[in-house]
Amino acid sequence: MKKTTLLLCFLFAFGTGFSQIKSNERLIYVASYNMSGMMTQLAQVTMSTEIIKTTKKSYLHLSWEASTFSKWDKFFKIRDVYESYVDPVTLRPSLYKRSIFEGGYSKTEKYIFGVNGKSINSSSKKKNTPETKKIFAIGSSTRDIISMIYKLRTVDFSKFKPGQSASFIIVFDEKEYPVNIKYLGMETVSSGNLGKKQCLKLSITAKTNKLKGRDKNLIWITNDTNKVPVLIRFSIPVGTGQLSLTNATGI
Amino acid sequence: MLPEFNKNNTMMRKFLIISAVIFGLLGIVFTILPLGTIAFLPIGITFILSGIAIQKSKNSQRSLPKIILFISVLTFLVVIGKAIFTKDIVVTDTQFELKKEESKKEDIKELEGL
Repeated sequence: MKKTTLLLCFLFAFGTGFSQIKSNERLIYVASYNMSGMMTQLAQVTMSTEIIKTTKKSYLHLSWEASTFSKWDKFFKIRDVYESYVDPVTLRPSLYKRSIFEGGYSKTEKYIFGVNGKSINSSSKKKNTPETKKIFAIGSSTRDIISMIYKLRTVDFSKFKPGQSASFIIVFDEKEYPVNIKYLGMETVSSGNLGKKQCLKLSITAKTNKLKGRDKNLIWITNDTNKVPVLIRFSIPVGTGQLSLTNATGI
Repeated sequence: MLPEFNKNNTMMRKFLIISAVIFGLLGIVFTILPLGTIAFLPIGITFILSGIAIQKSKNSQRSLPKIILFISVLTFLVVIGKAIFTKDIVVTDTQFELKKEESKKEDIKELEGL
């Protein structure tokens, strides 16, 4: 499940551009996993945004939450929260937090990004182990996974041709991962309460053993100004699954 | 020839019944667990195996495969009922919500210090 979570984050990680992300946006997905050839609905995933004001500055709070459906809670309870506080315009991250609880396993992680954007002050704690702290250097374009999720939606894909790809870098588990995104073309996809939408089909690959197959990790985002991720399909060493948008508000 | 045929038939019948019991148990477990329509897989196999076992059994020996067949039909109906009437919902987790609120307060303090 940990691999799945990382993958789901990878699936969103992308790009550069200017912010189009609105506050109070709420996207709800159903996460399904392929069991014996049948897709079984396991959890609800919610992506939301909110403006947070401090005395000095306003931040856009980006949140990604995953909770198993109540029928699964007795067997394998998941309560994951991934958060990033970013500049509302540039989407540059200042603070990233991750709190995962997956079937008894728990881990918390916090990254404070340096003012120059070239270092991270991190603290991490796993279940039954003491907290560890460290400072490590990152590339100037490296972002946390959640702020990258939203960056994807600010990219101008109109200039992309099928097969064209771009490379990016994310930081996860205190390591940097290069991520490659390939534009595959257009497809019409059922998009929850948004109806059927023309979408951009993207393939995601990363230099990690957590992703399996070629063009088997895919994301469809709406081909409009909102660029809402509506369908995500993933293939990992332990199986395949998908996230389907069921409800989108505040877009 | 006939005793050999009867011996093979008895062996086949035993094999079918044992397999049907194993898949039947698996079907019950899958029905109890929230695995949805995946339970149809072992239930379907149980149904087929117990059906063949009935065919292979003499009239006096058909009670056990009939019971297994009945259980497979019953579990099938339970799975159908669960699929129709059970909705996928996320219950409000008060502890989780409180934890998020506290975390947010800590985050704002952290951001004030940046």
